[in-house]
Amino acid sequence: MQRVSKAAGRKAISGDLVFRIVNGLLLGLVALIVLYPLYFVIIASISSPEAVLAGKVVLFPVGVNFDGFRKILERSDIWRGYLNTIIYTVLTVILSLLVTVPAGWALSRKTLPGKKFWMMFFIIPMFFGGGLIPFYNVMSSLKLVNTMWAVILPSILSVWNLFMTKTFFETSIPDGLIEAAKIDGAGQFRVFTSVVLPLSKAIMAVMALYYAVGQWNSYFNAMIFLQDESLYPLQLVLKEILIASESTVGGSGETILEQFRLANQLKYVSVIVSSLPVLCLYPFVQKYFAQGVMIGSLKE
Amino acid sequence: MAALSLKNIQKIYPHSGQSKPRKKKGEPEKKSNLQVTAQGVIAVQAFNLDIADKEFIVLVGPSGCGKSTTLRMVAGLEEISGGELYIDGKLMNDVEPKNRDIAMVFQSYALYPHMTVYENMAFPLKLRKAPKDEIDRRVKEAAAILDITQYLDRKPKALSGGQRQRVAIGRAIVREPKVLLMDEPLSNLDAKLRNQMRAEIIKLRQKINTTFMYVTHDQTEAMTLGDRIVIMKDGWIQQIGTPQEVFDHPANLFVAGFIGMPQMNFFDARLLCEGGKYSVSAGGCTVELSPEKQANLAAKKVPAQDITLGVRPSHMVLSGQHGNTLTAVVEVSELMGSEVHFHANAGGKDVVVIVPTMNADGGRVDSFRSGDKLNLTFSGSVCHIFGQDGKNLEF
Repeated sequence: MQRVSKAAGRKAISGDLVFRIVNGLLLGLVALIVLYPLYFVIIASISSPEAVLAGKVVLFPVGVNFDGFRKILERSDIWRGYLNTIIYTVLTVILSLLVTVPAGWALSRKTLPGKKFWMMFFIIPMFFGGGLIPFYNVMSSLKLVNTMWAVILPSILSVWNLFMTKTFFETSIPDGLIEAAKIDGAGQFRVFTSVVLPLSKAIMAVMALYYAVGQWNSYFNAMIFLQDESLYPLQLVLKEILIASESTVGGSGETILEQFRLANQLKYVSVIVSSLPVLCLYPFVQKYFAQGVMIGSLKE
Repeated sequence: MAALSLKNIQKIYPHSGQSKPRKKKGEPEKKSNLQVTAQGVIAVQAFNLDIADKEFIVLVGPSGCGKSTTLRMVAGLEEISGGELYIDGKLMNDVEPKNRDIAMVFQSYALYPHMTVYENMAFPLKLRKAPKDEIDRRVKEAAAILDITQYLDRKPKALSGGQRQRVAIGRAIVREPKVLLMDEPLSNLDAKLRNQMRAEIIKLRQKINTTFMYVTHDQTEAMTLGDRIVIMKDGWIQQIGTPQEVFDHPANLFVAGFIGMPQMNFFDARLLCEGGKYSVSAGGCTVELSPEKQANLAAKKVPAQDITLGVRPSHMVLSGQHGNTLTAVVEVSELMGSEVHFHANAGGKDVVVIVPTMNADGGRVDSFRSGDKLNLTFSGSVCHIFGQDGKNLEF
């Protein structure tokens, strides 16, 4: 009897082992598919453009050089673009949190007067936009064209993010806690600032990341509304550099070829220059994604 | 410290879009056992109660009887649909919870997870802008009463269930509220801790001068804690009285069955009235009622009729005689240490009989096994007589 159960146990262990191996292999493959393009961009940005074009750069950089980085970073407009983007991103994140979090909290309350109306108010523009020309006209009549607010203000409320925040409040902040605070003597505002906000670090971190990445990568509003080059965000400056390096006319055939190779390297370099800060930000926010903030508060 | 007065309090939950009463042919409009009207589901109705200053009132009843809803209406967490609530003579129907000077302990503890125990307890005082040294003094006093001084720097997640509940009580008493509301505060604790905390609450009551309103579904808590008990069912008050009163004189079949452990035995019986003397007859056993019961029934001129007779398991007595007794067949016997609970069948009715394992002389009482016959009797003073409508005929 015991022997049989031992054999059964061994069978179960070997089954587990097979599962773990297959699981590990599959996950490894997925990781490779995701990570290799990132790795390739890094090695291509410091490899010789000829080697990249010839397909010789596969696992390691070939003919290591930093010409692309030098070319990009020695330009003053890149640094100005960086500064502009940082200003736009920081202001967008601050303003968007100031708008999204209280709005999400209000919409999550069952007692909000006219809740249905407010929901429709936010949902309809989510699916039906006014179009570019009316949008431009609005910005123009508000005298925002060619100011940094033309880039910031349209980005401070994403309805999608608002509903995510609302759902977080509905599911993660227990009613019992709010009721306890009310009985303890807190009014609506105090409940929000003293109880809800400290327990919402996770959603605020996630929202900050979403808004920051969105603003960091955006260029369309800037392209439409900004004419003054000193206001250009990084993405627009990089776009200008790439277009300029690709469209150089004249010169000998060799110069044109050189320009073409450099333009190719600049592509990889600009990807790194523009995405590195966001990649550096992620580890600091990541811990909030899986954090259980309510431990110990309530017995369910 | 305050007196409470609830006058004709009513709570109606309006129909939401989905739960409008659908009328089908022949189907009564009912959601569980609560009454459903055109305005909505009536969760509490005609709730009248005066609570004296420093009194400990316990609302008890099964799930969905409206006890928590009533407490939440007193707290201000639920709107009062009808009637009036007075705290210290002031009408409180539309007063915000924070202005009612009440405190509440929740079943789920509802501690602020981002604050330490000290901060949790200090929070209500901070909101009332109490001076710092007073906050410190009162928090430490409350912590000493509840024996949680050593945990003041910990966060709730680092505490056990019992400690968390003490903190929740601490947060409530630190403010010295007029009324302390407790919504099933011990329900989430294990049996041993619950007994311990029950004793703590009794001690706490002696230390702090306040009016208590306590909700529970556990009749042991109700019996041991309350000065008076309010027994509720389907939104209606069934009986209000001291623990002894509701145990000795249950107003109806529901109260009789709900209060007391094990549950009261019920028999189909006949109330007899011969020569001005009342007696009950059930399963071949006729017992003359006690003079007190005789007087009560005579005063109400109760006629002879079919009744439901209630006798508590501890009041059933094993008889050596064979005549004028109720015969029951043992199905299961449970040895509880000092006593045995016999679950028996008496003419199709389940009967529980509690018998001590030793008699007065210290000798062992005869043991009975499954299938053995018991001859049972009871005295006329322990009979509870309920009419066909379930009401106690003595009331």
